[in-house]
Amino acid sequence: MSLSASLSIAVQSLNAADGALQATNNNIANANTPGYTRKVVVLQEAASTTEGNLSAGNGVDLTGYQSVRDELLQTQINQETQAQGSANAQLSSLQQIEPTFTTSTQDIGTEMSALFSSISTLSTDPSSSSSRQAVLAAGQNLATAFNQASNTLTSQQAGLNTQVTQDVGQINQLTKQIAALNPQLAALKANGQDGGTLQDQQDELVLKLSALTNVSVTQTQDGETVTTGNGTALVAGSQSFALQATTGSDGMQHVLDQSGNDITSSLTGGDLGGTIETRDTTIPGLLNQLDTLANQFATAINAAQAKGYDQSGDAGQNLFTVSSTVAGSAATIKMATTDSTMVAASSDATSGNNGNLANLSAVQTNTLASGQTPGDAYASLVYQVGSLTSNANAESTATAASLLQLNDQLSSVSGVSIDEESANLITYQQAYEAAARVVTTIQSLFTVTMSMGTAAAE
Amino acid sequence: MRVTNMVPDVQYAMQQSQQNLSTAELQVSTGLRVNQLSDDPAASANMVSSLASSANVDQYTSNVSSVLPQMQTADSAISSIVTSLNSAITLGTSGASSSILTGNKQTIATDVESVLGSVISSANTSYSGVYVFGGSGSSAPPFVAASETYTSAQGSAGTPLTTATALNAGSVTTISDATTGQTMTYKAAAGDTIATLQAAVSSAVSAGTLSAGTTAAINADGQLSISTNSSTAGIVVSSNDAALGSMTAASGSAVANAYAYVGNSSVNTVQVGDSLSVATNIAGNQLFTSGANVIGSLSKLISALQSGTTDQIGSATNAVSAALAYVGQQRVPLDSTITQLNSQESYLSQEKVTLTAQQTALVGVNLTTAATNLSQSELDNSAVLAAAAKVLPQTLLDYLK
Repeated sequence: MSLSASLSIAVQSLNAADGALQATNNNIANANTPGYTRKVVVLQEAASTTEGNLSAGNGVDLTGYQSVRDELLQTQINQETQAQGSANAQLSSLQQIEPTFTTSTQDIGTEMSALFSSISTLSTDPSSSSSRQAVLAAGQNLATAFNQASNTLTSQQAGLNTQVTQDVGQINQLTKQIAALNPQLAALKANGQDGGTLQDQQDELVLKLSALTNVSVTQTQDGETVTTGNGTALVAGSQSFALQATTGSDGMQHVLDQSGNDITSSLTGGDLGGTIETRDTTIPGLLNQLDTLANQFATAINAAQAKGYDQSGDAGQNLFTVSSTVAGSAATIKMATTDSTMVAASSDATSGNNGNLANLSAVQTNTLASGQTPGDAYASLVYQVGSLTSNANAESTATAASLLQLNDQLSSVSGVSIDEESANLITYQQAYEAAARVVTTIQSLFTVTMSMGTAAAE
Repeated sequence: MRVTNMVPDVQYAMQQSQQNLSTAELQVSTGLRVNQLSDDPAASANMVSSLASSANVDQYTSNVSSVLPQMQTADSAISSIVTSLNSAITLGTSGASSSILTGNKQTIATDVESVLGSVISSANTSYSGVYVFGGSGSSAPPFVAASETYTSAQGSAGTPLTTATALNAGSVTTISDATTGQTMTYKAAAGDTIATLQAAVSSAVSAGTLSAGTTAAINADGQLSISTNSSTAGIVVSSNDAALGSMTAASGSAVANAYAYVGNSSVNTVQVGDSLSVATNIAGNQLFTSGANVIGSLSKLISALQSGTTDQIGSATNAVSAALAYVGQQRVPLDSTITQLNSQESYLSQEKVTLTAQQTALVGVNLTTAATNLSQSELDNSAVLAAAAKVLPQTLLDYLK
């Protein structure tokens, strides 16, 4: 083997060490970059040279860099992120609804008790105008509590409606970026190269997309194909298919696919799925319970009023004005009168009689059309809100713990260890120094060799 | 397992530890285990009914406080009446003596009149503006001195009322009779006239509600005149019909020692427990003018003392004795109600304690446990922070210097 061949091997060695140092340097630089997967240098022993019976090694070849990935773990993280996005969206809304139904001086349960207390107080002196006025004031407070609870729920619904539009906008932006990366990645893979940084970017985009909605990703020769949970295409090759948010006949934002089909109800998971679930299922369910209670309670009080006589001796009139249909009852319930003489306390049309107050008080213990007493119906509503919030909280906590574990696993495969890279740094530094020393040695040998002729001439 | 970056795990551990610390601090500072519905949905739902029960107990307690003094006032009034009746019996017994002089009988009659006045005063006892023996219509004194004749404000010689004069539909005219102790209530219907009212009076006389001889007629001044046509039978008339105007007693027609009951027979009840209601007033007609008729027996004793025989005085005295026994019987339910209210007050007080304990068990926190939890959470948090401070800064680079 000639000195030139040896020098060539030393240069290859220098290049290999330099390339490895570059990979280590890049790993250290991106140690905290979200979505980054560590790169390792791929070194290969160079083909040996055979002269006669003698076979000699030819050094090392740097064939490329390889990202260390685990696609299965990445898929599991995407799925868990979808679950967490949905749970967090629901939790956020429910935590804003929760205080409305928490015991306070103004919640529905307290105001309901206050109304029955005022009726009971009136029974001790049915002619007292101040006690009659107190009944109307308590009724008004209860109506206001119903109005405010309904308003809280519908305001949340309106806020979630806006969120749907924002989520759809973000999804469209992300799918566009994913589609833009597909041709470049496809070209790299066609050449048998590692996706590297581009793949990292695309994985990060898919993760962000997963936080918004339930998506399914499949690998094709054109890159990643992304669909929603129900199969609606979002990305295919270099093409992205934008979703559209449009106002439906119910006044809510509906999500349409590229062909104009309404896919709202099929969207699950992620912030969008959680938002739609809360807006279209959870809140309407709570509103229906609230409306039913308001409607049946007002109807029961009005029916009790009708059994008695007001202070003028006339048949009792409605105390509450409430919608004839259940829907919207809580939002619109109000007092039908501000005249305290209209409280039908009497059962015999004489002004001092309190016989009918027993009928009004009995509304508290009698079952409504729903089969529950007003207090029990409200308690069911309280339980429902508490339970939904508690479940969303548990789901959010569980997915956070699960995600932490999955990310730990992924990090153990793809993450950068500063300690490990530091060790690599020393290893490659030593390799570089050794190769440089070989070059120096060969240079020295060259010099000796060249001086052999010169020394003979002298 | 290859560990690359401990920061996310440390951050998660710190977050969990701080959340536990925050929860422990909140529980200690509020004394509550359940600060929001999601902390314990079932307990929160149970609190709704428990708080409603508490509000009811508070209200029942308030009702007892309102009703009890009223009942005690009524009992005190009846006690005075019992004393008065005993005094009347003593006076009547003296008057029934065969040896007593006529002049002395007149003096005794005057004393019994005074006793009657005292009984009427007690029967018109009020508490906080409520006449306790007035039935449910208790805003005016229920026993009113009766007169022989009442006349309407409307009508005059120039523009007299007639039997065809229309009455206002829905208007109410009442005639309370001191002798029968009953009241005729007439509510005008559409198309009714004074003739209809006259017919109603006539029917009430036939039914015995009003004393025989009671009539409603248009007098010489063109007014409606309702009269018993007897100097010993008195009535009290009222009307809210604008066609008649207010009814007032004719001058000089007052009937001595005659009092009519203008309250009603209704009794109001007030709830003082989930399944306990008590009457808050007593219909005075039931207590004083029906049965042995307290007021009537005293009136008869006065008449007997003024002009009756010894036997008649003795008989009238026996009637007062019977009235006394009757009042004693009628007093029993009232005393029973007072006893019931007193024991209910104690029960409600105990119930309030029980409900408060129930609420504490539902959403409250044992302070010892809470303090221990807080201490443990502080310790855990310190440990997590200490571990983070020790582990995070260490890398291989530290040893390569």
